[in-house]
Amino acid sequence: MTLNNKKMPLGKVIARLLLYVVVFDICMLILYPYFVMFCTALKSRTEIFSMNGTILPISAMWSNFVDIWKLAPMGSYMRNSIIIAGGSTLLAMLCGIPAAYALSRMEFKGQTAFLGFIIVSQMFAPVVLLIGIYKVISAMGLTDNILGLVFINAAFNQAFTIWLLRGTFMSISSDMEQAATIDGCNRIQAMIRVLLPVAAPGIVTTLIFIFINAWNEYTVALCLISTEELKPLTVGINIFNGYNMIEWQYLFAGSIFAIIPVVILFMSIEKHLVSGLTSGGVKG
Amino acid sequence: MKKTLRKAEPYFWILPSVILMSIFIIVPIGQVFRMAFSKVTKTGKVKEFIGFGNFMDVVGSKEFGIVLQNTIVWTIVVVGLSTLLGFMLALLLNNEFKGRKIARAIVVFPWATTLVIQASAWKFIINTDYGALNTLLKTLGIINHNINWTPTPEAFFAWEIACGIFVTIPFVCFTTLSGLQSIDASLYEAATVDGANYWQKLFQITIPLVKPSLTVATVLNIIYVFNSFPIVWTITKGDPASRTDTLVTYLYKLAFYNGKQGQAAAVSVIGFLILLVCASVYMVYTLKKGDD
Repeated sequence: MTLNNKKMPLGKVIARLLLYVVVFDICMLILYPYFVMFCTALKSRTEIFSMNGTILPISAMWSNFVDIWKLAPMGSYMRNSIIIAGGSTLLAMLCGIPAAYALSRMEFKGQTAFLGFIIVSQMFAPVVLLIGIYKVISAMGLTDNILGLVFINAAFNQAFTIWLLRGTFMSISSDMEQAATIDGCNRIQAMIRVLLPVAAPGIVTTLIFIFINAWNEYTVALCLISTEELKPLTVGINIFNGYNMIEWQYLFAGSIFAIIPVVILFMSIEKHLVSGLTSGGVKG
Repeated sequence: MKKTLRKAEPYFWILPSVILMSIFIIVPIGQVFRMAFSKVTKTGKVKEFIGFGNFMDVVGSKEFGIVLQNTIVWTIVVVGLSTLLGFMLALLLNNEFKGRKIARAIVVFPWATTLVIQASAWKFIINTDYGALNTLLKTLGIINHNINWTPTPEAFFAWEIACGIFVTIPFVCFTTLSGLQSIDASLYEAATVDGANYWQKLFQITIPLVKPSLTVATVLNIIYVFNSFPIVWTITKGDPASRTDTLVTYLYKLAFYNGKQGQAAAVSVIGFLILLVCASVYMVYTLKKGDD
Protein backbone atom coordinates (compact mmCIF):
# COMPACT_ATOMS: atom_id res chain seq x y z
CA MET A 1 0.00 0.00 0.00
CA THR A 2 1.40 3.36 -0.98
CA LEU A 3 1.38 6.19 1.47
CA ASN A 4 1.83 8.82 -1.19
CA ASN A 5 -0.86 11.33 -0.32
CA LYS A 6 -1.19 12.86 -3.76
CA LYS A 7 -2.15 9.57 -5.34
CA MET A 8 -4.32 8.34 -2.49
CA PRO A 9 -8.04 8.44 -3.32
CA LEU A 10 -10.34 10.23 -0.90
CA GLY A 11 -11.93 6.99 0.33
CA LYS A 12 -8.57 5.65 1.38
CA VAL A 13 -7.70 8.87 3.19
CA ILE A 14 -10.94 8.69 5.15
CA ALA A 15 -10.41 5.00 5.95
CA ARG A 16 -6.91 5.79 7.21
CA LEU A 17 -8.17 8.66 9.31
CA LEU A 18 -10.90 6.46 10.74
CA LEU A 19 -8.34 3.79 11.57
CA TYR A 20 -6.27 6.28 13.53
CA VAL A 21 -9.29 7.63 15.40
CA VAL A 22 -10.54 4.17 16.36
CA VAL A 23 -7.13 2.82 17.39
CA PHE A 24 -6.44 5.98 19.37
CA ASP A 25 -9.77 5.71 21.22
CA ILE A 26 -9.21 2.05 22.04
CA CYS A 27 -5.74 2.81 23.38
CA MET A 28 -7.17 5.59 25.53
CA LEU A 29 -9.82 3.23 26.88
CA ILE A 30 -7.21 0.57 27.70
CA LEU A 31 -4.99 3.10 29.44
CA TYR A 32 -7.89 4.68 31.33
CA PRO A 33 -7.79 2.40 34.43
CA TYR A 34 -4.03 2.91 34.66
CA PHE A 35 -4.45 6.65 34.38
CA VAL A 36 -7.09 6.56 37.13
CA MET A 37 -4.84 4.44 39.34
CA PHE A 38 -1.91 6.76 38.86
CA CYS A 39 -3.91 9.94 39.54
CA THR A 40 -5.59 8.40 42.57
CA ALA A 41 -2.26 7.21 43.94
CA LEU A 42 -1.19 10.85 43.96
CA LYS A 43 -4.24 12.19 45.79
CA SER A 44 -4.81 12.66 49.48
CA ARG A 45 -7.49 10.68 51.28
CA THR A 46 -9.77 13.69 51.71
CA GLU A 47 -9.41 14.61 48.07
CA ILE A 48 -10.41 11.13 46.90
CA PHE A 49 -13.56 11.03 49.02
CA SER A 50 -14.65 14.60 48.31
CA MET A 51 -17.92 14.87 46.37
CA ASN A 52 -16.47 17.42 43.97
CA GLY A 53 -13.40 15.51 42.92
CA THR A 54 -11.20 16.48 40.02
CA ILE A 55 -9.62 14.18 37.47
CA LEU A 56 -6.06 15.22 38.20
CA PRO A 57 -4.78 15.53 41.76
CA ILE A 58 -4.85 19.11 43.08
CA SER A 59 -1.38 18.75 44.43
CA ALA A 60 0.55 15.58 43.71
CA MET A 61 1.24 13.67 46.91
CA TRP A 62 4.33 11.73 45.86
CA SER A 63 4.73 10.89 49.53
CA ASN A 64 2.02 8.19 49.13
CA PHE A 65 4.55 6.12 47.24
CA VAL A 66 6.92 6.41 50.18
CA ASP A 67 4.34 6.04 52.94
CA ILE A 68 3.12 2.62 51.84
CA TRP A 69 6.56 1.18 52.65
CA LYS A 70 6.06 2.30 56.25
CA LEU A 71 2.35 1.46 56.56
CA ALA A 72 2.63 -2.08 55.19
CA PRO A 73 5.46 -4.59 54.87
CA MET A 74 5.86 -3.69 51.18
CA GLY A 75 9.47 -4.83 51.27
CA SER A 76 8.38 -8.31 52.40
CA TYR A 77 5.60 -8.44 49.78
CA MET A 78 8.06 -7.50 47.07
CA ARG A 79 10.66 -10.02 48.28
CA ASN A 80 8.01 -12.78 48.54
CA SER A 81 6.70 -12.09 45.05
CA ILE A 82 10.23 -12.29 43.68
CA ILE A 83 10.99 -15.53 45.55
CA ILE A 84 7.68 -17.14 44.58
CA ALA A 85 7.90 -16.13 40.93
CA GLY A 86 11.62 -16.90 40.66
CA GLY A 87 11.38 -20.21 42.53
CA SER A 88 8.35 -21.36 40.54
CA THR A 89 10.06 -20.50 37.29
CA LEU A 90 13.23 -22.35 38.24
CA LEU A 91 11.37 -25.46 39.38
CA ALA A 92 9.03 -25.46 36.38
CA MET A 93 12.01 -25.21 34.02
CA LEU A 94 14.06 -27.88 35.84
CA CYS A 95 11.18 -30.32 35.51
CA GLY A 96 9.89 -29.08 32.17
CA ILE A 97 13.08 -28.97 30.09
CA PRO A 98 13.92 -32.70 30.44
CA ALA A 99 10.28 -33.65 29.85
CA ALA A 100 10.06 -31.48 26.74
CA TYR A 101 13.40 -32.91 25.59
CA ALA A 102 12.15 -36.48 25.96
CA LEU A 103 8.93 -35.64 24.13
CA SER A 104 10.75 -34.05 21.21
CA ARG A 105 13.80 -36.32 20.87
CA MET A 106 12.78 -39.79 22.04
CA GLU A 107 10.04 -42.29 21.39
CA PHE A 108 8.54 -44.21 24.25
CA LYS A 109 5.43 -46.05 25.31
CA GLY A 110 2.88 -43.79 26.92
CA GLN A 111 4.08 -40.72 25.05
CA THR A 112 0.63 -39.93 23.71
CA ALA A 113 -0.93 -40.58 27.10
CA PHE A 114 1.55 -38.19 28.72
CA LEU A 115 0.81 -35.51 26.12
CA GLY A 116 -2.91 -36.05 26.59
CA PHE A 117 -2.51 -35.70 30.33
CA ILE A 118 -0.60 -32.44 29.86
CA ILE A 119 -3.38 -31.02 27.74
CA VAL A 120 -6.06 -32.13 30.17
CA SER A 121 -4.17 -30.75 33.18
CA GLN A 122 -4.28 -27.36 31.50
CA MET A 123 -8.03 -27.47 31.96
CA PHE A 124 -7.92 -27.42 35.73
CA ALA A 125 -7.24 -24.10 37.33
CA PRO A 126 -6.00 -24.23 40.91
CA VAL A 127 -9.16 -22.51 42.14
CA VAL A 128 -11.34 -25.52 41.31
CA LEU A 129 -8.92 -27.81 43.12
CA LEU A 130 -8.31 -25.44 46.00
CA ILE A 131 -9.81 -27.70 48.68
CA GLY A 132 -7.71 -30.63 47.48
CA ILE A 133 -4.61 -28.46 47.20
CA TYR A 134 -5.18 -27.22 50.72
CA LYS A 135 -5.37 -30.82 51.96
CA VAL A 136 -2.13 -31.82 50.23
CA ILE A 137 -0.27 -28.69 51.32
CA SER A 138 -1.34 -29.02 54.94
CA ALA A 139 -0.41 -32.72 54.95
CA MET A 140 3.08 -31.61 53.90
CA GLY A 141 3.09 -28.93 56.59
CA LEU A 142 3.44 -26.20 53.98
CA THR A 143 0.44 -24.00 54.74
CA ASP A 144 1.47 -20.43 55.35
CA ASN A 145 4.76 -21.23 53.65
CA ILE A 146 6.13 -19.69 50.46
CA LEU A 147 7.57 -23.04 49.39
CA GLY A 148 4.03 -24.39 49.05
CA LEU A 149 3.19 -21.64 46.55
CA VAL A 150 6.38 -22.37 44.60
CA PHE A 151 5.34 -26.02 44.18
CA ILE A 152 1.77 -25.19 43.21
CA ASN A 153 2.74 -22.53 40.69
CA ALA A 154 5.43 -24.75 39.18
CA ALA A 155 3.02 -27.68 38.89
CA PHE A 156 0.21 -25.69 37.31
CA ASN A 157 2.61 -24.12 34.82
CA GLN A 158 4.08 -27.49 33.75
CA ALA A 159 1.60 -27.96 30.92
CA PHE A 160 2.43 -24.63 29.41
CA THR A 161 6.18 -25.01 29.94
CA ILE A 162 6.37 -28.43 28.34
CA TRP A 163 4.08 -27.45 25.50
CA LEU A 164 6.03 -24.32 24.57
CA LEU A 165 9.45 -25.95 24.98
CA ARG A 166 8.47 -29.06 23.06
CA GLY A 167 7.43 -26.81 20.17
CA THR A 168 10.75 -24.98 20.35
CA PHE A 169 12.85 -28.15 20.52
CA MET A 170 10.97 -29.78 17.67
CA SER A 171 11.67 -26.83 15.42
CA ILE A 172 15.43 -27.39 15.92
CA SER A 173 17.15 -30.17 13.99
CA SER A 174 18.78 -32.87 16.12
CA ASP A 175 21.77 -33.26 13.73
CA MET A 176 24.06 -31.09 15.83
CA GLU A 177 23.32 -33.05 18.97
CA GLN A 178 23.96 -36.32 17.18
CA ALA A 179 27.30 -34.98 15.99
CA ALA A 180 28.12 -33.99 19.55
CA THR A 181 27.23 -37.48 20.76
CA ILE A 182 29.63 -38.99 18.23
CA ASP A 183 32.30 -36.64 19.57
CA GLY A 184 31.85 -38.29 22.97
CA CYS A 185 29.21 -36.15 24.65
CA ASN A 186 26.47 -37.96 26.53
CA ARG A 187 22.84 -36.97 26.06
CA ILE A 188 22.74 -34.54 28.95
CA GLN A 189 25.91 -32.79 27.79
CA ALA A 190 24.61 -32.66 24.22
CA MET A 191 21.38 -31.10 25.39
CA ILE A 192 23.04 -28.52 27.60
CA ARG A 193 25.87 -27.57 25.26
CA VAL A 194 24.20 -27.85 21.86
CA LEU A 195 20.41 -27.71 22.07
CA LEU A 196 19.78 -25.26 24.89
CA PRO A 197 21.90 -22.40 23.48
CA VAL A 198 20.10 -22.67 20.12
CA ALA A 199 16.74 -22.86 21.87
CA ALA A 200 17.54 -19.85 24.07
CA PRO A 201 14.90 -17.47 22.62
CA GLY A 202 12.13 -20.02 23.19
CA ILE A 203 13.45 -20.80 26.66
CA VAL A 204 13.59 -17.14 27.66
CA THR A 205 10.02 -16.60 26.44
CA THR A 206 8.77 -19.59 28.42
CA LEU A 207 10.73 -18.48 31.47
CA ILE A 208 9.33 -14.97 31.46
CA PHE A 209 5.81 -16.23 30.88
CA ILE A 210 5.93 -18.53 33.91
CA PHE A 211 7.49 -15.76 35.97
CA ILE A 212 4.63 -13.41 35.08
CA ASN A 213 1.99 -16.07 35.78
CA ALA A 214 3.44 -16.78 39.20
CA TRP A 215 3.93 -13.08 39.95
CA ASN A 216 0.28 -12.39 39.12
CA GLU A 217 -1.14 -15.42 40.95
CA TYR A 218 -3.66 -14.41 43.56
CA THR A 219 -6.18 -17.09 44.49
CA VAL A 220 -3.91 -19.82 45.88
CA ALA A 221 -1.78 -17.31 47.79
CA LEU A 222 -4.94 -15.77 49.25
CA CYS A 223 -6.04 -19.17 50.48
CA LEU A 224 -2.73 -20.58 51.75
CA ILE A 225 -0.90 -17.63 53.28
CA SER A 226 -2.13 -15.93 56.43
CA THR A 227 1.01 -14.32 57.89
CA GLU A 228 1.25 -10.74 56.65
CA GLU A 229 5.04 -10.90 56.16
CA LEU A 230 4.74 -13.97 53.91
CA LYS A 231 2.17 -12.58 51.47
CA PRO A 232 3.07 -11.75 47.87
CA LEU A 233 2.23 -8.31 46.43
CA THR A 234 -1.05 -9.36 44.78
CA VAL A 235 -2.50 -10.44 48.12
CA GLY A 236 -0.54 -8.10 50.38
CA ILE A 237 -1.58 -4.78 48.88
CA ASN A 238 -5.15 -5.63 49.85
CA ILE A 239 -4.16 -4.67 53.38
CA PHE A 240 -5.33 -1.23 52.19
CA ASN A 241 -8.61 -2.73 51.02
CA GLY A 242 -10.38 -3.17 54.34
CA TYR A 243 -13.99 -4.21 54.76
CA ASN A 244 -15.14 -0.81 55.94
CA MET A 245 -12.54 1.53 54.63
CA ILE A 246 -10.47 1.40 51.48
CA GLU A 247 -7.30 3.47 51.35
CA TRP A 248 -7.45 3.87 47.59
CA GLN A 249 -4.37 6.07 47.31
CA TYR A 250 -2.18 3.46 49.02
CA LEU A 251 -3.85 0.51 47.29
CA PHE A 252 -3.09 2.03 43.88
CA ALA A 253 0.39 3.23 44.81
CA GLY A 254 1.17 -0.36 45.84
CA SER A 255 -0.50 -1.69 42.68
CA ILE A 256 1.77 0.40 40.49
CA PHE A 257 4.79 -1.28 42.08
CA ALA A 258 3.22 -4.64 41.32
CA ILE A 259 2.35 -3.78 37.70
CA ILE A 260 5.47 -2.11 36.35
CA PRO A 261 7.93 -5.05 36.32
CA VAL A 262 5.40 -7.35 34.69
CA VAL A 263 4.31 -4.96 31.99
CA ILE A 264 7.93 -4.38 31.00
CA LEU A 265 8.63 -8.13 30.92
CA PHE A 266 5.46 -8.82 28.98
CA MET A 267 6.21 -6.23 26.32
CA SER A 268 9.64 -7.79 25.85
CA ILE A 269 8.24 -11.23 24.97
CA GLU A 270 4.90 -10.30 23.42
CA LYS A 271 5.99 -11.18 19.86
CA HIS A 272 7.64 -14.50 20.70
CA LEU A 273 4.91 -15.53 23.08
CA VAL A 274 2.17 -15.29 20.51
CA SER A 275 4.04 -17.25 17.87
CA GLY A 276 4.93 -19.79 20.56
CA LEU A 277 1.31 -20.07 21.65
CA THR A 278 0.04 -20.89 18.23
CA SER A 279 2.93 -22.92 16.82
CA GLY A 280 3.47 -24.96 19.97
CA GLY A 281 -0.18 -25.23 20.81
CA VAL A 282 -1.93 -25.60 17.52
CA LYS A 283 0.40 -27.42 15.22
CA GLY A 284 1.80 -29.68 17.96
CA MET B 1 21.12 -54.74 30.52
CA LYS B 2 22.16 -51.79 28.41
CA LYS B 3 19.11 -52.27 26.23
CA THR B 4 16.67 -52.13 29.15
CA LEU B 5 18.39 -49.03 30.42
CA ARG B 6 18.03 -47.36 27.04
CA LYS B 7 14.36 -48.30 26.93
CA ALA B 8 13.83 -46.86 30.39
CA GLU B 9 15.76 -43.67 29.67
CA PRO B 10 12.86 -41.49 28.46
CA TYR B 11 11.00 -42.18 31.68
CA PHE B 12 13.86 -40.75 33.73
CA TRP B 13 13.63 -37.58 31.67
CA ILE B 14 9.95 -37.10 32.30
CA LEU B 15 10.07 -38.30 35.91
CA PRO B 16 10.56 -34.91 37.69
CA SER B 17 7.66 -33.41 35.78
CA VAL B 18 5.44 -36.43 36.45
CA ILE B 19 6.20 -36.34 40.18
CA LEU B 20 5.53 -32.61 40.41
CA MET B 21 2.21 -32.82 38.60
CA SER B 22 1.15 -35.99 40.41
CA ILE B 23 1.58 -34.54 43.88
CA PHE B 24 0.13 -31.11 43.23
CA ILE B 25 -2.49 -31.76 40.55
CA ILE B 26 -3.53 -35.43 40.52
CA VAL B 27 -3.61 -35.94 44.30
CA PRO B 28 -5.74 -32.78 44.80
CA ILE B 29 -8.11 -34.02 42.08
CA GLY B 30 -8.43 -37.30 44.00
CA GLN B 31 -8.97 -35.46 47.27
CA VAL B 32 -11.70 -33.28 45.79
CA PHE B 33 -13.55 -36.33 44.48
CA ARG B 34 -13.18 -38.18 47.78
CA MET B 35 -14.53 -35.21 49.74
CA ALA B 36 -17.39 -34.63 47.32
CA PHE B 37 -18.74 -38.10 48.13
CA SER B 38 -17.98 -38.08 51.86
CA LYS B 39 -19.21 -36.43 55.00
CA VAL B 40 -16.69 -33.73 55.89
CA THR B 41 -16.56 -32.07 59.32
CA LYS B 42 -16.28 -28.32 59.79
CA THR B 43 -12.56 -28.68 60.50
CA GLY B 44 -12.04 -30.60 57.26
CA LYS B 45 -11.88 -34.18 58.62
CA VAL B 46 -13.14 -36.60 55.99
CA LYS B 47 -15.66 -39.08 57.48
CA GLU B 48 -17.80 -41.80 55.93
CA PHE B 49 -18.94 -42.17 52.32
CA ILE B 50 -22.35 -40.60 51.78
CA GLY B 51 -22.88 -41.01 48.05
CA PHE B 52 -24.48 -38.01 46.43
CA GLY B 53 -25.48 -36.34 49.70
CA ASN B 54 -23.27 -33.29 49.19
CA PHE B 55 -24.51 -32.89 45.64
CA MET B 56 -28.11 -33.04 46.83
CA ASP B 57 -27.39 -30.34 49.42
CA VAL B 58 -25.70 -28.10 46.86
CA VAL B 59 -28.25 -28.51 44.09
CA GLY B 60 -31.09 -28.17 46.59
CA SER B 61 -29.79 -24.93 48.09
CA LYS B 62 -31.65 -21.80 47.07
CA GLU B 63 -28.55 -20.00 45.73
CA PHE B 64 -27.37 -22.76 43.42
CA GLY B 65 -29.72 -21.96 40.54
CA ILE B 66 -28.65 -18.33 40.38
CA VAL B 67 -24.97 -19.22 40.80
CA LEU B 68 -25.07 -21.67 37.91
CA GLN B 69 -26.97 -19.20 35.78
CA ASN B 70 -24.45 -16.45 36.60
CA THR B 71 -21.57 -18.76 35.70
CA ILE B 72 -23.05 -19.61 32.34
CA VAL B 73 -23.93 -15.99 31.52
CA TRP B 74 -20.47 -14.87 32.70
CA THR B 75 -18.64 -17.44 30.58
CA ILE B 76 -20.69 -17.06 27.41
CA VAL B 77 -20.88 -13.25 27.40
CA VAL B 78 -17.25 -12.64 28.36
CA VAL B 79 -15.88 -15.21 25.90
CA GLY B 80 -18.31 -14.26 23.14
CA LEU B 81 -17.82 -10.51 23.24
CA SER B 82 -14.07 -10.61 23.92
CA THR B 83 -13.62 -12.95 20.97
CA LEU B 84 -15.60 -10.67 18.67
CA LEU B 85 -13.95 -7.45 19.89
CA GLY B 86 -10.49 -9.03 20.10
CA PHE B 87 -10.83 -10.26 16.53
CA MET B 88 -11.88 -6.82 15.32
CA LEU B 89 -9.02 -5.17 17.17
CA ALA B 90 -6.60 -7.65 15.60
CA LEU B 91 -7.92 -6.74 12.14
CA LEU B 92 -7.24 -3.07 12.93
CA LEU B 93 -3.77 -3.70 14.30
CA ASN B 94 -2.87 -5.86 11.32
CA ASN B 95 -2.85 -2.72 9.15
CA GLU B 96 0.41 -0.95 8.55
CA PHE B 97 0.29 2.43 10.22
CA LYS B 98 2.50 4.79 12.13
CA GLY B 99 2.50 4.05 15.84
CA ARG B 100 1.40 0.45 15.39
CA LYS B 101 4.15 -0.77 17.68
CA ILE B 102 3.00 1.59 20.43
CA ALA B 103 -0.61 0.51 19.98
CA ARG B 104 0.39 -3.15 20.28
CA ALA B 105 2.39 -2.43 23.41
CA ILE B 106 -0.61 -0.68 24.96
CA VAL B 107 -2.95 -3.55 24.15
CA VAL B 108 -0.63 -5.85 26.11
CA PHE B 109 -1.26 -3.91 29.34
CA PRO B 110 -4.49 -5.55 30.55
CA TRP B 111 -3.09 -8.99 29.74
CA ALA B 112 0.02 -8.38 31.81
CA THR B 113 -1.74 -6.85 34.80
CA THR B 114 -2.88 -9.13 37.57
CA LEU B 115 -6.66 -9.42 37.66
CA VAL B 116 -7.02 -8.24 41.27
CA ILE B 117 -5.49 -4.89 40.41
CA GLN B 118 -7.56 -4.44 37.24
CA ALA B 119 -10.68 -5.28 39.23
CA SER B 120 -9.75 -2.84 42.02
CA ALA B 121 -9.32 -0.07 39.47
CA TRP B 122 -12.76 -0.76 37.98
CA LYS B 123 -14.30 -0.95 41.43
CA PHE B 124 -12.99 2.56 42.03
CA ILE B 125 -14.05 3.83 38.61
CA ILE B 126 -17.71 2.83 38.99
CA ASN B 127 -18.16 4.00 42.57
CA THR B 128 -21.22 6.22 42.91
CA ASP B 129 -19.96 8.72 45.49
CA TYR B 130 -16.39 9.39 44.44
CA GLY B 131 -15.79 7.14 41.41
CA ALA B 132 -13.59 8.24 38.51
CA LEU B 133 -16.29 7.72 35.89
CA ASN B 134 -18.65 10.20 37.53
CA THR B 135 -15.79 12.66 38.03
CA LEU B 136 -14.84 12.36 34.36
CA LEU B 137 -18.38 12.83 33.09
CA LYS B 138 -18.97 15.80 35.41
CA THR B 139 -15.75 17.45 34.30
CA LEU B 140 -16.71 16.98 30.67
CA GLY B 141 -20.10 18.52 31.47
CA ILE B 142 -22.04 15.44 30.34
CA ILE B 143 -23.73 14.97 33.72
CA ASN B 144 -24.18 17.40 36.61
CA HIS B 145 -24.84 15.02 39.48
CA ASN B 146 -23.42 11.61 40.36
CA ILE B 147 -25.02 8.63 38.69
CA ASN B 148 -25.45 5.37 40.57
CA TRP B 149 -23.88 2.92 38.12
CA THR B 150 -24.64 -0.09 40.29
CA PRO B 151 -28.23 0.24 41.60
CA THR B 152 -28.86 -3.53 41.55
CA PRO B 153 -26.78 -6.70 41.98
CA GLU B 154 -27.41 -7.37 38.30
CA ALA B 155 -25.82 -4.03 37.44
CA PHE B 156 -22.79 -4.96 39.52
CA PHE B 157 -22.59 -8.27 37.70
CA ALA B 158 -22.82 -6.50 34.35
CA TRP B 159 -19.83 -4.34 35.32
CA GLU B 160 -17.94 -7.44 36.38
CA ILE B 161 -18.66 -8.91 32.96
CA ALA B 162 -17.45 -5.69 31.30
CA CYS B 163 -14.25 -5.90 33.32
CA GLY B 164 -13.86 -9.56 32.30
CA ILE B 165 -14.24 -8.63 28.63
CA PHE B 166 -11.75 -5.81 29.01
CA VAL B 167 -9.01 -8.06 30.37
CA THR B 168 -9.70 -10.93 27.96
CA ILE B 169 -9.58 -8.97 24.69
CA PRO B 170 -5.74 -8.78 24.50
CA PHE B 171 -5.36 -12.57 24.60
CA VAL B 172 -7.79 -13.05 21.70
CA CYS B 173 -6.30 -10.11 19.84
CA PHE B 174 -2.75 -11.44 19.95
CA THR B 175 -3.61 -15.02 19.08
CA THR B 176 -5.62 -13.73 16.11
CA LEU B 177 -2.82 -11.36 15.09
CA SER B 178 -0.33 -14.19 14.92
CA GLY B 179 -2.78 -16.09 12.75
CA LEU B 180 -3.29 -13.05 10.51
CA GLN B 181 0.41 -12.49 10.07
CA SER B 182 0.98 -16.02 8.87
CA ILE B 183 -1.46 -15.52 5.97
CA ASP B 184 0.34 -15.31 2.64
CA ALA B 185 -0.06 -11.77 1.25
CA SER B 186 -0.20 -13.11 -2.32
CA LEU B 187 -3.63 -14.58 -1.57
CA TYR B 188 -4.98 -11.07 -1.07
CA GLU B 189 -3.18 -9.77 -4.15
CA ALA B 190 -4.68 -12.53 -6.27
CA ALA B 191 -8.14 -11.80 -4.85
CA THR B 192 -7.72 -8.09 -5.59
CA VAL B 193 -6.78 -8.87 -9.17
CA ASP B 194 -9.94 -10.97 -9.41
CA GLY B 195 -11.92 -7.95 -8.23
CA ALA B 196 -12.81 -9.08 -4.70
CA ASN B 197 -13.86 -6.32 -2.30
CA TYR B 198 -12.82 -5.94 1.35
CA TRP B 199 -15.70 -8.00 2.77
CA GLN B 200 -15.26 -10.83 0.30
CA LYS B 201 -11.58 -11.01 1.22
CA LEU B 202 -12.47 -10.94 4.92
CA PHE B 203 -15.01 -13.75 4.79
CA GLN B 204 -13.36 -15.92 2.15
CA ILE B 205 -9.66 -15.61 3.00
CA THR B 206 -9.10 -14.10 6.43
CA ILE B 207 -11.72 -15.79 8.57
CA PRO B 208 -11.25 -19.37 7.27
CA LEU B 209 -7.46 -19.10 7.67
CA VAL B 210 -7.59 -17.58 11.16
CA LYS B 211 -10.21 -20.05 12.35
CA PRO B 212 -7.83 -22.72 13.72
CA SER B 213 -5.94 -20.35 16.02
CA LEU B 214 -9.18 -18.64 16.98
CA THR B 215 -10.79 -21.97 17.90
CA VAL B 216 -7.95 -22.93 20.23
CA ALA B 217 -7.93 -19.45 21.77
CA THR B 218 -11.69 -19.67 22.32
CA VAL B 219 -11.58 -23.05 24.03
CA LEU B 220 -8.69 -21.97 26.27
CA ASN B 221 -10.61 -18.79 27.00
CA ILE B 222 -13.74 -20.68 28.03
CA ILE B 223 -11.64 -22.54 30.59
CA TYR B 224 -9.85 -19.43 31.90
CA VAL B 225 -13.01 -17.36 32.13
CA PHE B 226 -15.05 -20.14 33.70
CA ASN B 227 -12.37 -20.47 36.40
CA SER B 228 -11.82 -16.76 36.85
CA PHE B 229 -12.00 -15.85 40.51
CA PRO B 230 -10.37 -12.44 41.24
CA ILE B 231 -12.72 -10.09 39.35
CA VAL B 232 -15.94 -11.12 41.08
CA TRP B 233 -14.11 -11.60 44.37
CA THR B 234 -12.60 -8.13 44.33
CA ILE B 235 -15.64 -6.20 43.16
CA THR B 236 -18.54 -7.82 45.06
CA LYS B 237 -17.33 -11.05 46.76
CA GLY B 238 -20.45 -12.57 45.17
CA ASP B 239 -22.69 -10.53 47.44
CA PRO B 240 -25.49 -9.78 48.09
CA ALA B 241 -26.81 -13.27 48.84
CA SER B 242 -24.87 -14.95 46.01
CA ARG B 243 -26.60 -12.77 43.41
CA THR B 244 -23.24 -12.06 41.76
CA ASP B 245 -21.50 -15.37 42.62
CA THR B 246 -20.04 -17.69 40.03
CA LEU B 247 -19.24 -21.32 40.80
CA VAL B 248 -15.64 -20.60 41.83
CA THR B 249 -16.42 -17.75 44.24
CA TYR B 250 -19.35 -19.78 45.59
CA LEU B 251 -17.18 -22.80 46.28
CA TYR B 252 -14.50 -20.62 47.89
CA LYS B 253 -17.05 -19.22 50.32
CA LEU B 254 -18.50 -22.66 51.03
CA ALA B 255 -15.08 -24.10 51.80
CA PHE B 256 -13.27 -21.31 53.60
CA TYR B 257 -16.04 -19.12 55.08
CA ASN B 258 -18.91 -21.50 55.85
CA GLY B 259 -16.96 -24.65 56.72
CA LYS B 260 -18.89 -26.76 54.20
CA GLN B 261 -15.96 -28.42 52.50
CA GLY B 262 -17.93 -31.43 51.36
CA GLN B 263 -20.39 -29.24 49.50
CA ALA B 264 -17.57 -27.11 48.13
CA ALA B 265 -15.94 -30.27 46.77
CA ALA B 266 -19.25 -31.19 45.16
CA VAL B 267 -19.34 -27.78 43.44
CA SER B 268 -15.79 -28.43 42.22
CA VAL B 269 -16.85 -31.75 40.73
CA ILE B 270 -19.80 -30.10 38.99
CA GLY B 271 -17.40 -27.51 37.60
CA PHE B 272 -15.09 -30.32 36.50
CA LEU B 273 -17.81 -32.05 34.59
CA ILE B 274 -18.75 -28.88 32.76
CA LEU B 275 -15.11 -28.17 31.90
CA LEU B 276 -14.45 -31.78 30.95
CA VAL B 277 -16.77 -31.31 28.00
CA CYS B 278 -14.67 -28.33 26.91
CA ALA B 279 -11.46 -30.23 27.67
CA SER B 280 -12.39 -33.15 25.48
CA VAL B 281 -13.36 -30.90 22.61
CA TYR B 282 -10.00 -29.12 22.95
CA MET B 283 -8.04 -32.36 23.22
CA VAL B 284 -9.67 -34.01 20.25
CA TYR B 285 -9.09 -30.87 18.23
CA THR B 286 -5.45 -30.40 19.28
CA LEU B 287 -4.44 -34.03 18.85
CA LYS B 288 -6.15 -34.18 15.49
CA LYS B 289 -4.18 -31.11 14.44
CA GLY B 290 -0.97 -32.77 15.62
CA ASP B 291 -1.51 -35.68 13.25
CA ASP B 292 -1.83 -33.49 10.19
